[in-house]
Amino acid sequence: MSKFSMNGREISFEAGRTILQVATEHSVEIPTLCHLQDADHAQVCRICVVEVAGSDRLLPACATPANEGMEIHTDTLRVREARKTVLEMLVASGQHTCFAWNRPRETWSEAHRRSAQRPWHDRNCPADGECRLQELIVEYGVDTEHLVPQDMDFPLDDDTPLMVRDFSRCILCGRCVAACNVVQVNEAIPQPFGRREDKPLPRGWFPLADYERCVHCGECVQACPVGALFEKKAFGLIGPGEGDRIRTTCPYCGVGCQMWLHVKDGRVLKVTGVEGAVPNEGRLCVKGRFGYDFIHAPDRLTVPLVRENGVLREAGWEEALELVAERFLRLREAHGGDCLGGLSSARVTNEENYLMQKLVRAGFGTNNIDHCARL
Amino acid sequence: MTNQTFSTWGSWVPGRGQVPPDTLPVEFSPGRPLKAFMGWDGLFVHDESANLVAMVSAYMEQARKESCGQCFPCRLGTEKICGILEKIGAGGGDPEDLHRMEALARTMMNMARCDIGQTTPRPLLDILAHRREALLEVMEKGEPIPRGNYVMKVTAPCTNACPSHLNIPDYVEKIRFGRWDDALVTIRRDCCLPGVIGRVCTRPCEFNCRRQRVDVGIAIRALKRYAADRELETHAEPPLQAGPAKDRKVAIVGAGPAGLACAYHLGLAGYRSTLFEALDEPGGMAAVGIPHYRLPRFILRGEASHAEKLGAEIRYGVRVGVDITVDDLIREGYAAVFVGVGATESAKMRCEGEDAGYQCFMTGIEFLRRVSRNERPMEGKKLLVIGGGNVAMDCVRSALRMGFEDVNLIYRRTQAEMPADPQEIREAQQEGVKFHYLVAPVKIIASEGKVTGLECEKMELGAPDASGRRQPVPVKGSNFVIPCDAIVPAIGQTCVVDCVLPSEEVDISRWKTLVVDEITGQTRQPWIFAGGDCVTGPATLIGALAAGKNAARFIAQYLETGACAPSDGDWLEKLIAKLGIFYFKEKMPFQDTTMKLHRSVLPPEERIKNFEEVEAGVKPAQAVKEAARCLRCFRIALAAV
Repeated sequence: MSKFSMNGREISFEAGRTILQVATEHSVEIPTLCHLQDADHAQVCRICVVEVAGSDRLLPACATPANEGMEIHTDTLRVREARKTVLEMLVASGQHTCFAWNRPRETWSEAHRRSAQRPWHDRNCPADGECRLQELIVEYGVDTEHLVPQDMDFPLDDDTPLMVRDFSRCILCGRCVAACNVVQVNEAIPQPFGRREDKPLPRGWFPLADYERCVHCGECVQACPVGALFEKKAFGLIGPGEGDRIRTTCPYCGVGCQMWLHVKDGRVLKVTGVEGAVPNEGRLCVKGRFGYDFIHAPDRLTVPLVRENGVLREAGWEEALELVAERFLRLREAHGGDCLGGLSSARVTNEENYLMQKLVRAGFGTNNIDHCARL
Repeated sequence: MTNQTFSTWGSWVPGRGQVPPDTLPVEFSPGRPLKAFMGWDGLFVHDESANLVAMVSAYMEQARKESCGQCFPCRLGTEKICGILEKIGAGGGDPEDLHRMEALARTMMNMARCDIGQTTPRPLLDILAHRREALLEVMEKGEPIPRGNYVMKVTAPCTNACPSHLNIPDYVEKIRFGRWDDALVTIRRDCCLPGVIGRVCTRPCEFNCRRQRVDVGIAIRALKRYAADRELETHAEPPLQAGPAKDRKVAIVGAGPAGLACAYHLGLAGYRSTLFEALDEPGGMAAVGIPHYRLPRFILRGEASHAEKLGAEIRYGVRVGVDITVDDLIREGYAAVFVGVGATESAKMRCEGEDAGYQCFMTGIEFLRRVSRNERPMEGKKLLVIGGGNVAMDCVRSALRMGFEDVNLIYRRTQAEMPADPQEIREAQQEGVKFHYLVAPVKIIASEGKVTGLECEKMELGAPDASGRRQPVPVKGSNFVIPCDAIVPAIGQTCVVDCVLPSEEVDISRWKTLVVDEITGQTRQPWIFAGGDCVTGPATLIGALAAGKNAARFIAQYLETGACAPSDGDWLEKLIAKLGIFYFKEKMPFQDTTMKLHRSVLPPEERIKNFEEVEAGVKPAQAVKEAARCLRCFRIALAAV
């Protein structure tokens, strides 16, 4: 074990860890913005810089290895000022209008009014209240009263049905790029960085998606720390702190991904992955994240139906099951068990699948059993 | 105008210390004074008429262009600072802007990820600290200042150390992004044989890698090979595009690295060329002097063919000077000639019996030439190789693969003074070569015209010589005989340029090398250019590639304008090299613990059985990880002339 001092406190650590990792383990909070541990993505925002004795420069905690004997200060005036300077420049580089939306409209500048004319800007930013940038701006006391949204021809990508990419709010942290390429390995967001001269605006460094490769998993949306990437269906329907979050297991397949259902007025409006939970560690696929419309679909089957004289009528479970059992038994008697078969579903649990094959093998007397996930 | 010199040069890099102003270069190029210089370690001014405000605006504008968009302080800081400088330059701005700029510059310098952000604010901060009045004066006048015309260059310690100045941090970053194809485009701008250089380069870049100050340097050569190998593995067609066709043709003597590079870069510029090659194989000394276990033949042939795809024709088996003369070439309509012959003759040992024509005595160059044709050069079991360079290593290691059972190397100094690549020495030792240090040959012992042994004497190390290595001194009366079946001297090569070019036409040095302009490669005859070993004496492959590339540029210039001269960029490059760009004693703020890239190699007992390539390439995940260790030590230099 090695030792260093952090904010005057002696801390032991194992070699090979970064300052940020050691700090987190010892509950010393160092703010981050771009850091995405899963993807080993770091070093972009430099918000996590700390003061290390002997270094003229401030060093990023996310990428600086913890060295024996280091003397680290994570929250000095110099560090706070440096972070604040970056935040000031950052918030002025895009259309971060949440602070204006939280003020009466009469106080708006002309630029704010123009900004509100843009598509998806007719209401407050979808990330308002859960935006990492907003939190930091407030924490570091950045002046937002005189903040003017940057007027520029920002790219906007809202042609696909599930996600909106509004680059007027993109801070170029690269988290979506890492989430797509390193976490999900879809490689649908090409690395946008490179010499400024080689990356002319308006495209510039914006992480535009390549829909030839995109599988619409929405990992990028979940990784976005601000309101640049958001879900189209949920836009404007549910704000932060509104409704309930219900943790559940995704019903689509056997992996058992953990997800949050964002529920308001009895309706599921959004789904997000549970960070830090096995097996999915926050990740979801397109079905789990966006395939929830069936829950409130008007044509969803909610009671058993029995066909009589060509017409379907509602029936009770008892009646329906009895009818099915009776018909199946009759068929088995007439033609043998192999005239029957069962197709099970990935939407039910492992135990239910077990019971299904038991029913078919032992009850029907056939091996004609298969599963939709195998087809 | 005053003659007062103002300098902050050397005040920024920790552990270095300010450079005495009177030692700073005063000339930009012969006869042209250097007015002022701005760079990664401050600035210096020789001539007060240099407009510091215009200079620093141009400098920061270059930094803005180079900023890669990844770290916030540099991306946003360069943009803001340039905005303020532009405002001041246009006649606006107020003193408050100077405070703002200072804060921004400090933020950039203190927080940026790479040296674009960390080093470019330095001259600005120096001006704000020592020449603030220059900025205030412009603001007071309120008039736009003229935009100066300055010479600028973006380089890095590794780039600067490379004879061909490859943009190493740029292609390493592209590999980090998984774009080996883009990386290759960058590499090919300055190096037409990436797979070859990625295997056998002497890698001066790696010895100038600043990462060594943190833990271990980046495996740059392996990364270059990775990019080239990926292209082969994926069967991708290299994107080669010949320039718009020009009607004048260039003759190239020798299809070695220098000749191939010259043909390749002439092809890119649209000039067709014909290479006259004495051997029946492209690659020159790289083909017959480097064994296949280090450089597989198909790699060299494949990359040599790229020059042909760009319009070059190679005529094999033609010896210029014997079968055809340079004058004949001019008569045949070639508008210029590039001489790229190698150092193909072995140097003499000055040892008794070496010219006696004994059987089983053969020079290292001839030995390797036969090995390259898969011939066993000599019979016998016990071999002695004399020398301590890479050719000697190639000889001993090839000899093992050719069936010699007892392979010995004798060297008159110790391992510490050996010029061979340490990796080569290590691998030869692993393969079972016996090294005898502090031994020098005296006399070849033969019986019936065939070698039977070598009389040697012991040496000890004396005072350092001109090369800085300690001079070996014979120990009197220490003579002894090593019995052996065959002897191979490999103590150096010499050039054969005098049989290619008559000495009345060009200047030839006493080392039988051609005398050419240091930058342009032009000889006394304006239509004859030269580069590679025939100019420098036996040197490196990358040096030959650089010479061929540069000559192509100046040949094109000569053909278009009738004359050629170094550009300002060339002079700035020399100036940067003179100032020094890699400080071995730089103090880094922390130590990292990353491990050196693991390369898998064939086990010694397996590899001596044949000429299979010893070292394997790296895997994509390894390459990305290794590339991510690059510190991106970009340096921007600006000179006012």
